[in-house]
Amino acid sequence: MRPSSFEYHKAADIEDAVRLLAEFGDEGRPIAGGQSLVPMMNLRLARPSHLVDINALALNDIEFDGQVMRIGALVRHERYASDPRVAKHFPAFMDAVHWIGHPTIRRNGSIGGSLSHADPTAELPAAAILYDASIVVRSVKGERRIAAVDFFESAYVTSLEPGELVVAVEFPLPPPGSTGSFMEIGERRGDFATASVGTALEFDGETITKAAIVCCGADLVAIRAPGIESFLVGKPLKAPQAEEAGKMFAAEVEPSSDHVASADYKRALIGELTRRAIETACARALESK
Amino acid sequence: MTDITLEVNGTEKSLAVEPRRLLADVLRHEFGLSGVHIGCAHGACGCCTVHIDGVPKLSCLTFAVQCEGKAIATVESVGGPNAEHALQQAFKSEHGLQCGYCTPGFVMALIPFVNAMAAQKRMPDDDEIREAMSGNICRCTGYHGIVAAVRKAIGDQLAGEGN
Repeated sequence: MRPSSFEYHKAADIEDAVRLLAEFGDEGRPIAGGQSLVPMMNLRLARPSHLVDINALALNDIEFDGQVMRIGALVRHERYASDPRVAKHFPAFMDAVHWIGHPTIRRNGSIGGSLSHADPTAELPAAAILYDASIVVRSVKGERRIAAVDFFESAYVTSLEPGELVVAVEFPLPPPGSTGSFMEIGERRGDFATASVGTALEFDGETITKAAIVCCGADLVAIRAPGIESFLVGKPLKAPQAEEAGKMFAAEVEPSSDHVASADYKRALIGELTRRAIETACARALESK
Repeated sequence: MTDITLEVNGTEKSLAVEPRRLLADVLRHEFGLSGVHIGCAHGACGCCTVHIDGVPKLSCLTFAVQCEGKAIATVESVGGPNAEHALQQAFKSEHGLQCGYCTPGFVMALIPFVNAMAAQKRMPDDDEIREAMSGNICRCTGYHGIVAAVRKAIGDQLAGEGN
């Protein structure tokens, strides 16, 4: 199929973009890489009357200021591979990026687009929830920050108001030496995830002091696992009881069956991915010691 | 309608297009470039891959109005009428195609990969090759012939440099 008619506007800068988006309200959508929006338009699942092209905006930087990693909304997925600071501070984020689509999609898709699209199994929304990131959004009214956990409301639904544009994402820097990993299972390489689990762990000596777990495939948004996170605190890196954690989490989640996998199968996958993610993160921490 | 000027395979042309028109359709209908194949029209199959300013991009996920002032290259710009590019020749000798519908997309997605490996003087393993072509679907070959073609194209370039 082909998209329905729309008017095309090329924004010169952020002020221009938010002014246009304010003017069009519900009828306007920003476009960056188009890797999520254009499929929706071609299938007529999205029919914006106005497209505001934001590719000329100065939102292409990855900045570290000692407190946060701030990623401009137009940073393309393949960029992280050439910035060693990302893998150093956010290993689970880096793992997650490798699971995004295909090389052509990673070269063109942007973080602002992925977050705004809010696919329930997308990797970057999961990474944002795992690392307690804040989404920075702009409109003609000014700027506000939305915690990732509040940003994603349901499948393809965010708390963005009409006229608001994602301009950056801020990831608080974990303490030095923190570890993590992200695992995914999909039907095919590059396809949507059936389930994925990510973990970020902080430790003192060889004991876990803080844990975060995120999971896609269990609900309409990526979910955290507070029960499993507190279970992991105090466990040794050498024997984190990852299998037990996976079993506990699998018993707790309530995925729904779909055309790809039954609920039971997804539950089993989530349990196993949880085990693998924790073990991989712990092994990485021990390796770097 | 919006007036745009596109540079396609080295030739500039000005035309008026509706903003909703996909680059893939404009290349096929307004430029007569039937090597741009449209498989799924939603970014899943890779058939419509072209280069925009040298970078592979899905022309079914790109609006022609977004390409004002950009240099677009399609498979017609590669290897001349007899498809003499090393990768095209390797597709032929290694049975990297059967019906040929997906082939232009594979060629355009893989040329930068082949060039990058040759520049690094490195033969990638099969997993890397399969990752590089993971955005393209082929329903005929089972992919083994395509992997072999990529290896041959890189090998030929590496051997050529050694001479």
